[in-house]
Amino acid sequence: MTENINFILNSALISTLIDPTITLLDFIREDRKLTGTKTGCREGDCGACTVLAGIYSGGTLTYKTVNSCLLPLGNIKGQHIVTIEGLSTEEISPVQKAFIEEGASQCGFCTPGFIVSLTGYLLSGGSSDRDKALDSIGGNICRCTGYSSIKRAADKVVKIFNSESYSGKTDIESLINTGLLPGYFKDIPARLAELQEKPQRVRAETDKFIGGGTDLYVQQPGKLREIRTEFLKGHIPETIDSEGGICRIGGGTTFEAMNSSPLLHSLFPEIEKYFRLIASLPIRNSATIGGNIVNASPIGDTTIIFLALDAWVELNSGTKKRTLPLKELYTGYKTLKIEKGEYLEYIGFYIPTGKYAFNFEKVSKRSHLDIASVNSAAFFEYSEGVITNARISAGGVSPVPLFLSKSSEFLAGKAISYETLSNTLGIMQTEILPISDVRGSGEYKRLLLNQLCKAHFISMFPEIIKEEALL
Amino acid sequence: MNKKEKVSVGLPDNLREIIIEIPEDEPKPWDGKSELNYIGKRVKRIDGIDKTTGKAKYTFDVKIPGMLYAKFLRSDFPAGTISEIDLSKAQKLKGVYSVLPAQDDLPLIIRYAGQEIAAVAAETAEIAETALQQITFKHTTSDFVLSVEDAIRENAPLVYQTTVKEKTTEGDLDSSESSVVQEGNIRGPKIFPEDENAEKFDDYLRNCEVIHTAEYRTQVQTHSAMETHGVVVEWGSDDKVKVWASTQGTFSVRNDIADYFKLKYNDVRVITEFMGGGFGAKFGAGLYGIMAAKLSRATGKPVRLMLDRKGEHLSVGNRPDSLQKLSIGTTKEGKIKALKLISLGTGGVGTGAGTSGPIKNIYDYEKIYVEESDVFINAGPAAAFRAPGHPQGAFALEQAIDEMAHKLGIDPLEFRRINTTGNYIRQTQYVLGAEKFGWDKRNQVPGSIKGPIKRGFGVANSVWYYIYNKGFVATVTINRRGEVQVINGVQDIGGGIGTVLAMIVAEELGLEPDQITVKIGDTDNGFGPASGGSQTTAGITPAVRNAAYKAKIRMIELAASILGKTTDKVTMEGSRFSDGDDISKSLSFQQVAAKIPGDEIRVTAERRSDNLGREEIKTTIDGVQFADVTVDTGTGVVKVNRIVAVHDCGRPMDRLTLESQINGGIIQGISYALYENRILDRNTGIMVNPNLEMYKIAGARDVPQIETIIMDFNQAMNSTGAMGIGEPATIPTSAAIANAVFNAIGVRLRSLPITPDKILAALEEQSK
Repeated sequence: MTENINFILNSALISTLIDPTITLLDFIREDRKLTGTKTGCREGDCGACTVLAGIYSGGTLTYKTVNSCLLPLGNIKGQHIVTIEGLSTEEISPVQKAFIEEGASQCGFCTPGFIVSLTGYLLSGGSSDRDKALDSIGGNICRCTGYSSIKRAADKVVKIFNSESYSGKTDIESLINTGLLPGYFKDIPARLAELQEKPQRVRAETDKFIGGGTDLYVQQPGKLREIRTEFLKGHIPETIDSEGGICRIGGGTTFEAMNSSPLLHSLFPEIEKYFRLIASLPIRNSATIGGNIVNASPIGDTTIIFLALDAWVELNSGTKKRTLPLKELYTGYKTLKIEKGEYLEYIGFYIPTGKYAFNFEKVSKRSHLDIASVNSAAFFEYSEGVITNARISAGGVSPVPLFLSKSSEFLAGKAISYETLSNTLGIMQTEILPISDVRGSGEYKRLLLNQLCKAHFISMFPEIIKEEALL
Repeated sequence: MNKKEKVSVGLPDNLREIIIEIPEDEPKPWDGKSELNYIGKRVKRIDGIDKTTGKAKYTFDVKIPGMLYAKFLRSDFPAGTISEIDLSKAQKLKGVYSVLPAQDDLPLIIRYAGQEIAAVAAETAEIAETALQQITFKHTTSDFVLSVEDAIRENAPLVYQTTVKEKTTEGDLDSSESSVVQEGNIRGPKIFPEDENAEKFDDYLRNCEVIHTAEYRTQVQTHSAMETHGVVVEWGSDDKVKVWASTQGTFSVRNDIADYFKLKYNDVRVITEFMGGGFGAKFGAGLYGIMAAKLSRATGKPVRLMLDRKGEHLSVGNRPDSLQKLSIGTTKEGKIKALKLISLGTGGVGTGAGTSGPIKNIYDYEKIYVEESDVFINAGPAAAFRAPGHPQGAFALEQAIDEMAHKLGIDPLEFRRINTTGNYIRQTQYVLGAEKFGWDKRNQVPGSIKGPIKRGFGVANSVWYYIYNKGFVATVTINRRGEVQVINGVQDIGGGIGTVLAMIVAEELGLEPDQITVKIGDTDNGFGPASGGSQTTAGITPAVRNAAYKAKIRMIELAASILGKTTDKVTMEGSRFSDGDDISKSLSFQQVAAKIPGDEIRVTAERRSDNLGREEIKTTIDGVQFADVTVDTGTGVVKVNRIVAVHDCGRPMDRLTLESQINGGIIQGISYALYENRILDRNTGIMVNPNLEMYKIAGARDVPQIETIIMDFNQAMNSTGAMGIGEPATIPTSAAIANAVFNAIGVRLRSLPITPDKILAALEEQSK
């Protein structure tokens, strides 16, 4: 491959011929010797390697936090990458100041990651609530401080957000004036505008397509250098459209883009809750829906959600396009009906009309960002106390993400009642075959799926099904 | 020559005056009446800017021209023998400089999956990785054992054919154990008291009016410091060796390297500018340090050997698991008569699974009997881990205490109170903690709350010890420009010792902490403590204050000569020196410093024994924690809402960093209680979760509201009066949570971690 990768790293223009499959983390630390960005786990679970990625699109520049350990260079063309060094000038920033004042560093190894994450929260400009600030550091692990001091520092940062001088202004000039960003950011939009490249056709003659990289770089980081790879980013759709009663989501759409999509919010008002359970913000900023579906994890969170929506996938091989129902995509553990050279271009589903309810539940050991023991989604259409159409899916209870067809069929035409719920549980248990593993025993998973199904009913029909039903 | 001083000791609202004798060259100890500018206040870290801007250089970040990257080849089977290793193919790869076997002579016996077989040093990490795959070896595999239960069975495969000596580091409590026997996979038991007769004791226990006996289990926890273990070694052509190490004991790394390679201590220099956490696992050079040194010697180039996350989980330490059978015998009124503990635990191929600290040292009792044994299994070695043995011991003891209280119908806190009557620190802690926590609002009948979401309160005690070593040498210099520095070899594990040293010197000289240059983390800087046993602060601070005091005396002498007075006429106000007869005549610190003959004042002071010849100094560090949890009985998920922690740690130095250590201990305790667990595949012996994806550590969202009460307990036993806190704070948390879970749902969870499936299973068992 002889293509140059062009991007801006802090204030420097980078134009490199380096292998595009190497991670941004290695490039920053080994090639550029910027060691403020730390290596903690190399799997996107500790946040020590968090950097900012500024994406220039349609004349605007937006910064997101990403895990540099899972981000291939091939995915950052035309972006502005900011490391802790790029945020540190003579004067320390308000975020750094808050950390120092509250004693939020102990050994300090995780600190740059936290600083970058909280700076990302301020740059996002979305909301001034504390919860968002905490969400921004949800993917950062600190083994020393106990987080209390970090939360106090985060509270201070939230105060900055609400202060008059800042008041949520996210234009770069204001951010420079408040000391959050160094002066060189002023020229970044213009510099990035020059770097933008036209999307190219996807090359089908490849061994592996790379989407966001957040699964692939955990599973086989070394292997990717030895095979032919093709980056999908920038070449496949990243849009969320509705037309003719159909919603289509481009395969390159990130989790966070879905999480903040007004269309999806209007259809599924609780969507933020689901995504918060699914992955940390830096992962959501990189992970794509196409990658998640194709990764074929039996417990893939978005797959479970889309199964309940009766979604289909649109596959493209460059020469041929075809459509396949999602529930027919998986043939066994981690195997699926996608042929070599085919990539997932869109996922689509019919936008529900009439009265419907949707719910997603996930139980894992830790309260957030854990791989689920069991997860489940439910979509019910109903009218006057009767379910007219139902679709339930479940993960972690079979080798493939499972559409619970018998339970779904059974529910159609049934009254919303304790009896229906109880009967559904019985049928559900005949459809699953959970195994015992790190995440719990098979028996526990069976029990858990029952609880999740109850939770669906309680959450969707709180007037009829009460919480006591869980007992 | 000694001098006498009157000092105020005890808790702030109950101070007593005593007369102590101290050496002539030491200052009067800080005591309960000292009014200080920095000590005991919340002082920001002196390295805050370095840490928040990414400038702080860790061993992981060291880059030296020509440096090679080294990696280990590890076994993927848990037991067997390697008879031949072929390194030639790996050696021939371009960019590979050296390949060495992990052990000089063959055969190499493999005792756990993940054990090191060979190491490669290459131009890049990637080449090293590729080279590892080119190493081939001939081996046989053998049967293995992965749990205590399997290992103690008759005819179980033996992990060792040889007798194992206990390996202790500065992180372990001193244990003298010459008479320990090893039979099969069991090393032990160690019996306490040594002369106790088990049958006689059991008779005594049987005759107690009320008896409780139960079995408790804890899991294996890995240290999981954010910076992995590792070193960069530069073996000079003059056979002088420079080592950058991520360590909590710079001198122990130096000693290991010098001993192994038969070098002079003076020719090995170990540097730890910043280090990313240790928690007890980072003492000594480790095999990684020895191999890096061998590779550097062989290649003539600096070699970096930092472990990856997987190697970290597998091979450099963990907290042993435990299976503890515990009995308590009391009177009807609830007075403890007898305590008995039979403890088995495994540190994998390592030792150190004892759990008896808490049972021996918290409660009053008439008789005690302890048997504790290490059991070997085919898993990675244990290492000292933040209060070795104590979280395990407390989990069992403090639940058993709770169960006994329940059996007797006595409030669990009251039960603790009446069985620790001789300890006035604890008695005070119970009152302070209960009030802050709102203990009286607790659900009186466990499990009685209606609805699926149940809330409960629990309490648990902790114990640790006031430990310090002697002979640390602190240096303080003042130069002609009035610049001050404090110098010692001690490393900052993260607790903030550098900041504390600056505070102490600033306090003594009337300066501000950021005016003091701190040079630490280098064995060339004078002997300093290892950060183990919570003794860093207790170990080094008296030497530093004493050195600063000596420097101050020299400055006063100099001021006296400038003022033309005798030293007793010179008074010091802040950093100014005045003529006691005429206050208007005064000199600034800089004015006096300018007259320093030559270049600088350089004084050293040594850590001596605490002052002797006085009433006994209290040597336990006591603590109590209260937990408030909710249990979702639908999903089994436990959420910790609040922890109130009351701890004694002598005289607090920096309250900000101290509080942070307590918070950190608590969150590690929560993580231990609910999430962390090393899981070995029972078919292959391979760790299933050697990452941070499935080995779950508590995150920011899992943290409850934590409130700490730090007791200012002055003993004036030396010039600073500091004791330790690193370990104590993590000891009682899991037990307090377990007790709170019982209070919420009315069912006991006697096994860690308390995962949702265990809760649901326990609830189901109860409903049967």
